[in-house]
Amino acid sequence: MFWPGVATLWTALFCGLASMYGYFRADRGALEYFPFARRAYALFVASVVATAAILMTLLLQHRFDVSYVASYSSRDLPLHFLISTFWAGQEGSFLLWIFWGSIIGLFVWRSAKEQEAPVMIVYLSTFLALVAILCRQSPFRLLATVPADGGGLNPLLQDYWMVIHPPVMFLGFASLSVPYSFAIAALWKKRWDGWIVRALPWALVTFLTLGTAILMGGYWAYKTLGWGGYWGWDPVENTSLVPWLLTVALVHGMFLQRSRKRHRRVNLFLAILAYVCILFGTFLTRSGVLADFSVHSFVDLGITGWLVADLLVFLLAGAALLAFRWKAIPSEDEPTPVLSRSVLLILGIAALVGIALVVLLGTASPLLTRLASKPSQVSTNFYRVTTTPGGFLLAILFALVPFVSWKGETARGLFLSSRRSLAIAAIAVVAAFFAGARLPEALLFVAIGAFGFDMNLQAVIRKSRGGKFGGAGGYLAHTGVSIMLVGIVISGIYAVSKRVALPKNTPVTVHGYAMTFTSVIPPTATSKQAMEVRVTTPKGKTFWAYPKMYINARTNQLMANPSIRNGAFFDLYISPQEYDPGSPMQLGKSLTLRKGQTARVGPAAIRLDDLRMNTAAVPGDDKTVAITANFTVTPDGKPAQAQALEYVAHMDGSAPNEGRPQAVPGFSSSSMVIQNVIPVQGVVQLNVAGLTADFVPPTPETLSVDVTNKPLIALVWGGFYVMMAGALVAFIKRAGQARSAAASVPSAALGTREPAGAPRPLPAAVHARAET
Amino acid sequence: MKKGYIVAAVLALGFLVLGVTAFRTTLTPYVSFDVARKTAGSVQVMGSLEKGSERYDSAVQQLAFTIVDDHGRSLPVLYRGIKPANFQDALSIVAIGKYEQGSLRAEKLLVKCPSKYQGQETERQYGVKS
Repeated sequence: MFWPGVATLWTALFCGLASMYGYFRADRGALEYFPFARRAYALFVASVVATAAILMTLLLQHRFDVSYVASYSSRDLPLHFLISTFWAGQEGSFLLWIFWGSIIGLFVWRSAKEQEAPVMIVYLSTFLALVAILCRQSPFRLLATVPADGGGLNPLLQDYWMVIHPPVMFLGFASLSVPYSFAIAALWKKRWDGWIVRALPWALVTFLTLGTAILMGGYWAYKTLGWGGYWGWDPVENTSLVPWLLTVALVHGMFLQRSRKRHRRVNLFLAILAYVCILFGTFLTRSGVLADFSVHSFVDLGITGWLVADLLVFLLAGAALLAFRWKAIPSEDEPTPVLSRSVLLILGIAALVGIALVVLLGTASPLLTRLASKPSQVSTNFYRVTTTPGGFLLAILFALVPFVSWKGETARGLFLSSRRSLAIAAIAVVAAFFAGARLPEALLFVAIGAFGFDMNLQAVIRKSRGGKFGGAGGYLAHTGVSIMLVGIVISGIYAVSKRVALPKNTPVTVHGYAMTFTSVIPPTATSKQAMEVRVTTPKGKTFWAYPKMYINARTNQLMANPSIRNGAFFDLYISPQEYDPGSPMQLGKSLTLRKGQTARVGPAAIRLDDLRMNTAAVPGDDKTVAITANFTVTPDGKPAQAQALEYVAHMDGSAPNEGRPQAVPGFSSSSMVIQNVIPVQGVVQLNVAGLTADFVPPTPETLSVDVTNKPLIALVWGGFYVMMAGALVAFIKRAGQARSAAASVPSAALGTREPAGAPRPLPAAVHARAET
Repeated sequence: MKKGYIVAAVLALGFLVLGVTAFRTTLTPYVSFDVARKTAGSVQVMGSLEKGSERYDSAVQQLAFTIVDDHGRSLPVLYRGIKPANFQDALSIVAIGKYEQGSLRAEKLLVKCPSKYQGQETERQYGVKS
């Protein structure tokens, strides 16, 4: 073990436990323990940061005596990839998760105010469970013998998207502990409403970070791997998609509770479920259960038991507490019209949870089927079939939401206020139809996407005109989702892929594009070996595409990166599949002869009589061998004749081996030549030409590519940016509200504590005004 | 408000039914070679590559090989597509497809290679200092 790292890790565990103890005492009324608990927490953060700094230093210094460094990094990596080896393995990625969690905690204890003690106890426990795993499975194990160089980073991960994707992903993971901690604290202390204001900004942080990380992962897969389409991605993507969907549901539930003071159980349930799903996903990917199905999957390092225990503790604690308090959670029944915002939100949450759970079911299929027999997996069709109806329902709901108030609408009133958007949807459908979309499913999604886009856009404009752009975050996010939805459905259904072989310098037309494979561009210090393809568009414009294809020297893996031509309406995606260097023309017939063996070639029989090797042919050079082979050639109906062939072999490969051709006795314009000799077996490979019509035509140098036309994929990325911009606007507003709400509440440490059990009235500023 | 909960419950139930049905129909079961030969639908089989059995025709991009299970029984597999990188080094091969005309027509191949076990491999090679 590398002791400084181990020491800081154990210090972190100890300080974390001390802080928890302090908060327990403070919670029991010993308020003087607050400073102690906070100081211990600060030391916990310092120890975690120190542990991370130590691991990073070891990586940067190429300390290959450390197992983790030797396993995942190497000397040839540039700095940014060297940094990213920090989270290339199990232990480092756990450490990254804890690192973010410890930092976020510094903000959590400030914002938790009167709930500081219970929130921090739960919050610390979620991370100390991970610290304990690292104490068991240390990243600081030392190797008995020190290798000269490390194993290096998986070549697939050597992409700058992969440098930033994991940190953002784990920031999302870490931030999910916040709503969980607040929810558990709320159940514990029976404070049903106060937590919502505090935790909502954090749920939005998860929404932003996890969402961004998922899309980055998707974009990386799109750009570097020839990805297998939606849902064809790795099961691991789903394990972060599920908590993200639940977080989206939670954000909406919190919004509902803030505005209407109801549905408290829904939010407590969602906050617990989202965190438990992160743990479940971690268990799935890190226990080796998915090893047969995933490229992300880690092999079981012997921490499966810990992960299961971790999962069960946080699941059972949440479930038991929720069940125990269920009856005590106040729920106010009041009549709600069917076409009201509350109903829309509840239905939306149900749809999101439904989608999340079926995706989880599909992702866990190897685990579930393993219980009965060998693990098997559902096909991508499962996800398509199960998520389409839910997605459609969601699209309808968020399309209607801007024009449905809390008080309720009549169907007629709603129709009247959405006439403009309905007209726009109709125009979009007609346009899509003429653009070639004929499938009802595609047209349906175009209609609802265009409808939802315009409905929400109107709301954004209305809000901005009223000077309340800050309140338009949700609507802005919905316009983005509408755009994305159309992009996903259209690019999913109408992507056309064609595999073509491109012989060198011969144009081949695919999807209207004339493509010519012109040359192989050798690798340079900064770029990989690329294939140069000249592409002429249907309009006659020419551009060059450079799909990359190379063998990774370290792993001997064939790597292929597509070349993507981005367009407003579609992407042209050229994915290299195979490169054949071609073979020269070959004349004659090849035969293999053993000593004493006879073979027939056309009108003659050829026998190998003898094979002699002379290693002393070149004085002082025992690596060059002169070989003489004696043959007897018997043409049909003629006497046999002898022929001797010579062959010079350079055993050290210093020069190409060489056979000297001779005429075949008895045949004019013929030749026989030794192509290869296997001395140990006494075997000679011979080429005989001019006796038969054998002729092997040359094969040209050929590049095989998959050319895919992916329509409207730009809408997926564009819609995503709009959605995230909306979430960011919402975050700024909610974070501001949380701050002003917190300002009116004295800190727990100062002593004034609200009576437990009674829901606290919120400051007036916090009430979101229902709009009509 | 009860109405909303009922609608939500019905929806959730609908999702559940859809999910379970889809789960059962899209699941490709892991089966033995004997069962694969008798099943009409798509199945999943696993075995190791029989040495020297692979033939790859790059002109039509077709890969033919034989896999052997733990009991030494073999099954020919035909895959139309690019030969996966590191195919020869595979520890085991998972083939998903239908059995037709004497061989399994694989739509998808999953090749499990030793390179995955990087971390453990390093420690096995160099030993761990206790």
